[in-house]
This record gives sequence, structure tokens and C-alpha cells, in this order.
Amino acid sequence: MASELRVNTLKDAAGNNSVATSVVFNGALKMWANLSGSGTPAIDDSTNTSSVTDVGTGERQINLTNSMSNTNYMTFSGMLNDGNSGGTRGAAGHQLNGQTTSSVKYKIVYGSTASSDGALSDSAIDDGCAIAGDLA
Amino acid sequence: MSKAAELAAETPDFQGTHLWDRLCWAKENLEPHQSDYRVVYENSVDECAKILVPDPNWMACALQGGILPPVQSYWELAKDEAQPNFVKHTRGYLLHNTEPMPAMTEEQAIEYLIMKDCPQSVWQTWNEGNKPKMVICRKDQLPATREWRNAWKISEELATDHNIAA
Repeated sequence: MASELRVNTLKDAAGNNSVATSVVFNGALKMWANLSGSGTPAIDDSTNTSSVTDVGTGERQINLTNSMSNTNYMTFSGMLNDGNSGGTRGAAGHQLNGQTTSSVKYKIVYGSTASSDGALSDSAIDDGCAIAGDLA
Repeated sequence: MSKAAELAAETPDFQGTHLWDRLCWAKENLEPHQSDYRVVYENSVDECAKILVPDPNWMACALQGGILPPVQSYWELAKDEAQPNFVKHTRGYLLHNTEPMPAMTEEQAIEYLIMKDCPQSVWQTWNEGNKPKMVICRKDQLPATREWRNAWKISEELATDHNIAA
């Protein structure tokens, strides 16, 4: 049977290192999604995600189920290094004017190569995104 | 209790429960459902087609029922956010306190998702124009690779006077 603890503060066994439960919750990720797929992406696993929009080459939009309170949340993103012969690639959160309380965009770009610094690229294996902030 | 056994149990009465807590319950108790449906849409003639892919955990919530808020709650929040002086949401209760949606079929869930995650300008006028702005299809009807991804468009051969667009 499900049970719950209702406390305001957590402490270690010696009564030290207290932390408010609000700090724990506020610091928890409010969304994460792990995507894969060589055609259109599919969400392998997630929390608080309703869908992903394949916007175009190297650009994803994650749509949230529980909206964020405001647009001042932090975005993290990354991808699996797939040994791409065209140069290393990375994923970057897209905290520009496309960020709303109900969706977040991120991009997959080439890193340091002579010909394509910063150019958009598709991840061949896995990529994903997470955000931290306050829920609506 | 196993997940299969939990699936047979009814969803708790979640009205008034924070949506986050409902999603945590669903994550713990429901099996994800990977849908084969995809929604292809164009919201700008200058951009390539976009493809909406349902989340398997979200789909499980939609099929289960009693978890997701009405889609109108999202529309109301979007209206608030569109205000020029928007700072933060003050009507989050629309997500948490409105009566949750009953169980949906997979097709109903896709319709809900379209109204939630596609631009209204697309789904409200999807069949106005020379070709559909939006098509619901199956995953295997899309290209298997991402070659020329930024050139993908909805076919000009699809007519808007058909009820079935895919």
C-alpha cells in the first residue's frame, strides 16, 4: 500500500546537514526525455513529456504535460557520441525566443570542424533534453 | 503489486491533485504505450514539414483516463502567456483542479495531442488551401532515413476535399 512522509526538513542521523523538502523538490528535474531513431525520433523514456516535435535537421521541440510556471527555467541537453566521421557533435539547449512554458527546443550541432562549426546535424543514435525550474 | 495488476485497478480520484503527482503515479504504475501514429504538419510555407511524435508515457495516461486535464486548460494558459505583460502563470490550478479526462482511445488521444501540441493555426484550418496543412499517418509511412530532412513537405497530391488525409 502506498504511503507518504509529510515533513518540512530532512536531516542526517546526527541532526546535521538539514535540507528543506522544498529545496529537494525545487531542485529536481521537472522534465527529461531520451530520444532515438534514425528516421523520425521516438521517445524511449521520459518524465512530464507529451510529445516531441521533429522540427527539422538537428532541431527538436519537447512538449510538456505539466507546464512550467515561467520561461526562466534551465535547459540541459546532450547526445551520445556516435563517432560521426564528419566531426564531433553535441546538443545544446535552445533558450532563445522559442522557449515557452509548455515546450522547449534544443539543437544538435557540429562541434569544432573546419567546415561545419555550429552547423545543425542529426543525431544518429540517442539524444535528449531535461529542464529544471518551477512548475505551473 | 505488479504493474499488470495495477493496470487492472482504477485510477485514483485525482481531481484536485497536482498534475505532477498524477504523472508520478502513472510513471510508477502504467506500462508505456508506443504509438505508431505520427502527425505531419506545416505551419509555414517557408519551412519544412514538422512531425509530432507521441510520448509513450503520456499515451499510457491518455488510455488509462482520469489523469490528464482537459485540453482547454492548456489553451487558457496559452492565452495568459500570450499577454505582453506575462511574467508567470497564476492559473496553474486549471491543470490540477479541473476534472480529468476520461479514458481515450488511441485515436482520440492523437486528436487531443494535436489540439494541445500543434499550433491552432494548423489544426483549425488544416483542410483550407490547396493541400492539407496536417496529415495523420503511421510511422512506416514516413521516410526511413533523414535524407533531405529540411526539404520534407506534405505531398501536393493530397486533396483537402477528402475526409481521410492519410
